[in-house]
Amino acid sequence: MFALLLNDINITFMEPCIAEPEKIRLKAEMSDDITDVMPYLNAVIGNAIFNKNAPLITFTKEFRLIVLYPKKLTMAKVVNQTDALQIFDWLKDLINETWDKRDTITPNYEKKHKPTVPQFYGWLPKTNCKECGEANCFAFAAKILQGQQRIENCKPLFTPEYADARETITEVLTAIM
Amino acid sequence: MPVYLDNAATSFPKPEVVYRAADEFMRAVGVNAGRGAYKQALEADRIIYETRRNVAKLFNVKDVSRVVFTFNITDSLNLAVKGILNPGDHVITSSMEHNAVWRPLKVLEEERGISITAVHCDVEGNLDPLKVKNALTEKTKLVVLIHASNVTGTVMPIAEVGAIARENNIPFLVDSAQTAGLYPIDVETMNIDLLAFTGHKGLMGPMGTGGLYIREGISIKPLKEGGTGGDSILEHQPDSLPDRYEAGTPNVSGIAGLGRAVKFILDEGVEKIHNKEAALTGYALHKLSGIDGITLYGPKDNINRVGVISLNIMDLNPQKAGHVLDEKYGIMVRAGLHCAPCAHRTIGTIDRGTIRIGLGYFNTQEDIDCLLEAVKDIIKNKDIQ
Ligand SMILES: Cc1ncc(COP(=O)(O)O)c(C=O)c1O
Repeated sequence: MFALLLNDINITFMEPCIAEPEKIRLKAEMSDDITDVMPYLNAVIGNAIFNKNAPLITFTKEFRLIVLYPKKLTMAKVVNQTDALQIFDWLKDLINETWDKRDTITPNYEKKHKPTVPQFYGWLPKTNCKECGEANCFAFAAKILQGQQRIENCKPLFTPEYADARETITEVLTAIM
Repeated sequence: MPVYLDNAATSFPKPEVVYRAADEFMRAVGVNAGRGAYKQALEADRIIYETRRNVAKLFNVKDVSRVVFTFNITDSLNLAVKGILNPGDHVITSSMEHNAVWRPLKVLEEERGISITAVHCDVEGNLDPLKVKNALTEKTKLVVLIHASNVTGTVMPIAEVGAIARENNIPFLVDSAQTAGLYPIDVETMNIDLLAFTGHKGLMGPMGTGGLYIREGISIKPLKEGGTGGDSILEHQPDSLPDRYEAGTPNVSGIAGLGRAVKFILDEGVEKIHNKEAALTGYALHKLSGIDGITLYGPKDNINRVGVISLNIMDLNPQKAGHVLDEKYGIMVRAGLHCAPCAHRTIGTIDRGTIRIGLGYFNTQEDIDCLLEAVKDIIKNKDIQ
């Protein structure tokens, strides 16, 4: 048995998601620094987006949005606390197994897997208010991913109601742009 | 030293770690002034989660959130039965059920007009799965079965009945009160959709703990609504599990104890626990059947049964015999109808009941020898009217 890279994850903050109060968003701290495993995670997680300078790695697990930093993480759209703890177990195993097998994995330092337009659209407020100057939110999402729009132009996103979505989107954009 | 042979009612003693976990929770987490209220709450959640995870592992449940905690198996069975059956529905069960299944069904028969088929078991409590198949109707909405009888110890053909239910798309609910922790249970290979369990018997945990595994896709109406932790602003009960079924403050000290108890079982291994109990059961059955004046009920062989043995001594009233065993010999057994009149009707002891021995993981051969000596003594002296 190899020594574990990551021993523990502990929730430090939790509140209902604003747009979806049935779900929760949370912050947690990790007992150990996972910077070194990030390029390997980037290689094994299908939909990961990695920014080696930040550093951070972000990905989705089904509908949940996860962002990992060296010693902390954030998650949004988590079903409930039980779900969060179950995802922590999954994450710990994933990180430790990836670290265990790092000799057999080619680390990937590239950002990859920009989110698709529908994926990015899914995180937007979807009000189709046109304040950004685009015909609808879908068009806005496409322009953002092409680098032809600024996220600040999405006015609803910067209202308190969309605080959690804003956080995730900003993190994703930091990672890919 | 008194001898405790009533583990079928509740296991005693518990593993030392169980007492400690419950105590530790109340002292260190429940009233730890050094931590913020928020962190404490999170610590309690973590303890509950760990228990949930251990239970899920024990029953081979993949998604931990499908394990819902209740306060005992009676609670779990009521939740499942009352949350599934609607007016006009039909339910199939057996003639060996405990009142925890039978009474809720009888209430629904009266209040919701459900119909009940109690498949008849043989005099040893054995059930023929074909009879379940033959009892199916278009209106059948639930099959509920005891895993092992709390009167005779007979183990039911769960996997076979489960397969029949699965083929017909009918939820299959199992009462594991006498098997969980003592007998291997795998919700996948046994085709179990709903597994009700109680914490204080074979699972070796504290009283006031229990739960229900609910397979994904099975819809159950909650028995109660209320607070579910967090500071949810929702006006209705959340749809997600386990919160949907866990309104109100849970028994966290009990759940902490249960978590360690199940960890103990996982560490020992259900196989080992089962083998030890089977060896004791075999020994007891062998010795008891050699004593003139003893009537044994349930399976005579030691293959399809758990360590629950019902017997009578000559024509003595079992309550009185139980009383003498306690008073004169310091042996604690259960006597009477054991909350399962249907089962007593099935095995022909409804008029007087039985003496029941419930073996546990901490019983020894000496405990059984004490019982054997006492029983022989009672028979020899015939000193009970
Ligand atoms: C088969 C069976 N079902 C249900 C129960 C009820 O258990 P509890 O009192 O823990 O709800 C018992 C124990 O008495 C039992 O033996």
